[in-house]
Amino acid sequence: MTDEIHELSGAYAVDALDDVERARFERHLTDCSTCRDEVESLSVAAVELSSGLEMAPPASLRASVLSGITSVRQLPPLTEPAGRTGTATDTLGARDCDIVDSPAPTDRPTDAASSPVVPAAPLAGPTDDHAAETGGTVSSISEGSRRSRARQGTRSPWRGLIAAGAAAVLAIGTFTIVRSLTGEKAPQSASQQVLEAPDATKTVHSFANGGSATIVRSASLGKAVLVGTDLPSPGAGKTYQLWLQSKDSAFTSAGIVPGAGNQVVVLGGDAATAAGAGITIEPTGGSKQPTTEPLALFPFSA
Amino acid sequence: MERMSRFSAVPSGDDTRSSPEDASGPVALARLLQQSAGGDESAFAELYDLTSARVFGLVRRVVRDPAQSEEVAQEVFIDIWRHCTRFDADKGSALAWMLTIAHRKSVDRVRSAEASRGRDETYGHANIDVSHDSTSESVVQRLDAERVHEALSTLTEAQRGALELAYLGGYTHTEVATMLGVPLGTAKTRIRDGLIRLRETLGVTT
Repeated sequence: MTDEIHELSGAYAVDALDDVERARFERHLTDCSTCRDEVESLSVAAVELSSGLEMAPPASLRASVLSGITSVRQLPPLTEPAGRTGTATDTLGARDCDIVDSPAPTDRPTDAASSPVVPAAPLAGPTDDHAAETGGTVSSISEGSRRSRARQGTRSPWRGLIAAGAAAVLAIGTFTIVRSLTGEKAPQSASQQVLEAPDATKTVHSFANGGSATIVRSASLGKAVLVGTDLPSPGAGKTYQLWLQSKDSAFTSAGIVPGAGNQVVVLGGDAATAAGAGITIEPTGGSKQPTTEPLALFPFSA
Repeated sequence: MERMSRFSAVPSGDDTRSSPEDASGPVALARLLQQSAGGDESAFAELYDLTSARVFGLVRRVVRDPAQSEEVAQEVFIDIWRHCTRFDADKGSALAWMLTIAHRKSVDRVRSAEASRGRDETYGHANIDVSHDSTSESVVQRLDAERVHEALSTLTEAQRGALELAYLGGYTHTEVATMLGVPLGTAKTRIRDGLIRLRETLGVTT
């Protein structure tokens, strides 16, 4: 296992891991100084691949950057790895609430119990969406990204799913910190938005021989996300395909799951009007319509 | 081009062509970043002028769409501003640090754009024409940084192909494996071995 995860350093250094793999690898990095060193040196090597691509940006960019920074607060320096309220132990403890390894927390108490040091309020002022990082807690990072959409009262119980990995990596080197920070706040992470949406609901399906598929759907965002955990191999020449089901039970392809194992995939199509989602095994490349019995159907609440 | 060697992301070490003390050399960039960390906006403007072509070139290569590239590049620089207090010169050059941010943001953008786009393309996902994507403008052809060019030529064709798809194409290693028609483990190994070879040839030390 360790050998295998060690092999991910290269893919991590070129940002070629998906959300789940990234989170898992970042957790590994907190324990493995060999990988940390390797990631840093490989990251430096990787950026060389961008030499020769120079292109002058439009002049307007300069103006928008320079006016933009005047309204952006700089983060405090990271003088000690463990920061103010988070200790190294706290940070490592955050691993436990990552449902990639402990699938599907079912209710809020579970979530709360797994991150006991999380302060109820953001650690800093409401304008600092990175307030979380010196605190190094899962929920405070989510707090920041939620804030950018809207302040909502309800907390999504699986909000730590992806952020956990980002939080766990706080104590480590510059490059990895950069990765985790720039990744977690990205408003463009569609899957994270769905997972953290206040109205997100989820349906879990466990496969008989291990692994599970969870569909998280936010009606307000009109999107659904598959979180596959240890998905068994679909077989040679086959792939998992996702579907949205209309009210009259017609299936529309919502995309292909790029592999087995741990996967986070945003379903294509409008999950607000759909009545449910499904997953089937199809020939590689996908099918226009399901050609096999669905492995699981995930009805959406109205 | 001469500027390139001074823009080297590699700590200057044995690279005699690069003079780290130059006004746009690694030391100067690191200093500008440190001044920016103190809230110095004019230092940041100077930093922008010295690095924007490099940052934008990378963003544009990964994101492709000009308008989106500009948006991403803006986010990148704002993020650099926000995080420059966290830059640690001991861990690598300022430029490498900035480009790491730029790459991550670019990749996040193309992945999320894909995820939110209609799924029609998904059908053909396994059959993406690799040659169309990168061979025609292979990184090797465009590199005028001789040193990097030489380093890249020490990679096997397979390693270079996998690295280009991952780094410049912004594809995940799972996607790279599918596109190249090789097992995931093979793609993973090609990427890593390619980077290790690049690191060793370029003498990267951190």
